[in-house]
Amino acid sequence: MTYPDPDDPAYPARPSVRPFLQSGPQSAGGYRPAPRDEQPPATDPTATLRPFVITSGRTDGADPDIGMETQVTVNPAATPVRLSPEMRAIVGLCVEPVSVAEISARLRLHLGVTRILVGDLRAAGQLDVHVLDNETPDPETIMRVIRGLRAIT
Amino acid sequence: MDYEQSPNRAYGGAAVGSGGRQKKAPVPVKIIVAGGFGVGKTTTVGAISEISPLTTEAEMTSASVGIDNPGQASMKTTTTIAMDFGVLTIDQTLKLYIFGTPGQSRFAFMWDDLIKGALGALVVVDTNRIDDCYPAVDYFERAGLPFVVGVNTFNGQMQYSLDEVRWALAVREDVPVLAYDARFRASVRDALLVVLDQALDKAIRQKAT
Repeated sequence: MTYPDPDDPAYPARPSVRPFLQSGPQSAGGYRPAPRDEQPPATDPTATLRPFVITSGRTDGADPDIGMETQVTVNPAATPVRLSPEMRAIVGLCVEPVSVAEISARLRLHLGVTRILVGDLRAAGQLDVHVLDNETPDPETIMRVIRGLRAIT
Repeated sequence: MDYEQSPNRAYGGAAVGSGGRQKKAPVPVKIIVAGGFGVGKTTTVGAISEISPLTTEAEMTSASVGIDNPGQASMKTTTTIAMDFGVLTIDQTLKLYIFGTPGQSRFAFMWDDLIKGALGALVVVDTNRIDDCYPAVDYFERAGLPFVVGVNTFNGQMQYSLDEVRWALAVREDVPVLAYDARFRASVRDALLVVLDQALDKAIRQKAT
C-alpha cells in the first residue's frame, strides 16, 4: 500500500498521525491496560458520588467477578429478610435472568452502586450471580454468535 | 469483603449458592463499541439491539464538563457521561451485549472492567474528528483485544478514503478498517461480523497454543 507523501502540498488537509504510536513504555502515551492482578487506583475521596450513601459509603470492594454483563437471578432458596428499597427493587428484577448493566439502567442506579449491592445480595444468599469461569469465550461460542448474527436481517 | 466462592464455576453459568431447580441463565458475551462523542455509538448500538438502548451511569468526575466537543457540524448539545448498551438474544442460552463507551482517554479507567471477557471492539471513527479515537485504538492494541476500525459514513460521504484513515491510525495490516452506516441494521451487523471474525481468529490461535 502506498501512502501520500506527508510533505506533498497536494494533500493539505490530511489527519495527523496517531501521536503516541512510537512512545516508549515510560512515555505519557495515554492510558494503559491495568495489570490483571492489580487493584484499580484508589479514587480521590472528594470525588465520590452521592449515590454511594446507599452503599454505606463504600465505593469499591465490588466483586471483580461481577461484570456489567454478568447474569443475576433470584436465589429461590433464599430466606425472606428485610431489605432496603434499592435491594428489594434489585431482587424484584431478577426473577428472570438479568444483567448487572440492565439492573443499573432500569433502576437508574449508578453502575458502581449496583455492583456493590448485587455483591451484598449475593453474599446474603438472596441472589445467584452466574460467574463465568474462563474469561475469553471459546471458538465454539463465538461461532454461535456469528451464526446468530448472520441470521438476523 | 468476603464473597462466597462457588465450588463449580463452570463456563455456562453455574449458579452460585444453594439454588435448587432454576431457570438456567444465558451465557453473556459482549462486544464494545468505542468512539468519541457524537460519532454514532448509540446509533450503532440501537441499530442492532433488540431493545432500545439502555443507559447506565458509571463513575465520572465533574472535571470534564465543558471539555467535550461534539464538533461544529454536530447538533448534539448534551453529553451524557454514561454507557449505552443493547442486547441481542442469540438463542435461549446465549446473549450478546453491545456496550457503547466514550473513546476519550479520560474514560479509560472504565475500559479495564469493560474489556474483561469481551470478544472484541468496534472503534467508531468520524473522519471529521479522527483523533477522538486514538486513545481507544492505543488501548485496545496494548490490551490485545481484537478490534476493527469502523468509519461511520453519516450521509454516505467520507472526507477521507479508508486508506487515508488507515494511514492516520497506523494500525497493523491485519486490523480491518471498514466503512459502515450506523443507521442501518444490516450494515452494523456486517461490521460486527468482522469484529467476530477477528475474535474467532484470536480464540483459535489461543486454543492452539
